[in-house]
Amino acid sequence: MTEDYEHREESKSTYAPIILAAGIAVLLFGFVIFLPLAVVGGIIIGAAVFMLFKDGANEKFAEFKESVEEKWPLEFLSKEKLGIWLFLVSEILIFGGLIVAYVYVRLSSNSWPVATQTHDVILGMSNTIILLTSSLAMVFALYSIRGGNIKGLRIGLIGTFSLGAAFLVIKLGIEWPQYYRNGFTISSGLPGSTYFLLTGLHAAHVGAGLVAVGYLLFRSFHGGFTNTKHSAVENIGLYWHFVDIVWMFLFPLFYLI
Amino acid sequence: MYVGIWLGLVVATVAEVVTRSLAGAASLLALIILLISSGKAITIAMYYQHLRYEDKRLAILPIAAVVGVIFLAVAAAMTMSMGM
Repeated sequence: MTEDYEHREESKSTYAPIILAAGIAVLLFGFVIFLPLAVVGGIIIGAAVFMLFKDGANEKFAEFKESVEEKWPLEFLSKEKLGIWLFLVSEILIFGGLIVAYVYVRLSSNSWPVATQTHDVILGMSNTIILLTSSLAMVFALYSIRGGNIKGLRIGLIGTFSLGAAFLVIKLGIEWPQYYRNGFTISSGLPGSTYFLLTGLHAAHVGAGLVAVGYLLFRSFHGGFTNTKHSAVENIGLYWHFVDIVWMFLFPLFYLI
Repeated sequence: MYVGIWLGLVVATVAEVVTRSLAGAASLLALIILLISSGKAITIAMYYQHLRYEDKRLAILPIAAVVGVIFLAVAAAMTMSMGM
């Protein structure tokens, strides 16, 4: 595939991001107004993700090279990296705001259950170590492809995906059912609703990260990356490490304090 | 180097759990635990997200977001102190 983006054909564009946004809108609208509509939204999202995988493999997400004047004052930053960091800024504000709200509600409350009596600390600590190890695997994947090592890239991505999936299985398959059996639910009071809101939102971000890592894995098996062309690995890695950082705060706030 | 950083993060996680079981004022223990977790977060940002090796101007973006969250926290604290 040519690297000469200035002569790239105009047909190398994709509607996948717009369709994905529409699908998310229909999904959320359906949750509020009419539940079967949410199913339609889910189908649209699935189709958009499939398109993203296919279009990504056909390299429709290549970056145009601009002149320095068009990039000032951010000439030191590629468009892709600027985009991912701006996205992470919005995520910091979302999670930061929710965490501040949780702390406010908790400090304003007359009584709050003891963390270590409500939550399994050892399970939470194990999950934290699993997520930290998945970040290490992601770093391994990036440094492998920087050195042109495709096999190392695939091993790192498989490790990241497996450990991320293990995190979700422990959280959603073991912890949450245990809490529900003990009467600690999203509607059992403020402690429950704040816990499930924040950790649920985090789990959704882990799930989205798994889809992104799955996309990288798919492309790695279709010759999508080389030692000079792997910015997607780095940028999705930035998102994955951010998800890890959020858990560094959620774990002590809910399980220890 | 990254394996060493990972090891340090794991040790810090265990240290958080151990701190929880120490005797002492709950607020002091909470502060120590949150300081450890902040250190872990900064370490991940600096090394795994490569902020340490990027142009210094890039750090303005996440720092600005963190400042925004701190502003929100200060506003919440002021609201609480006014008994609202």
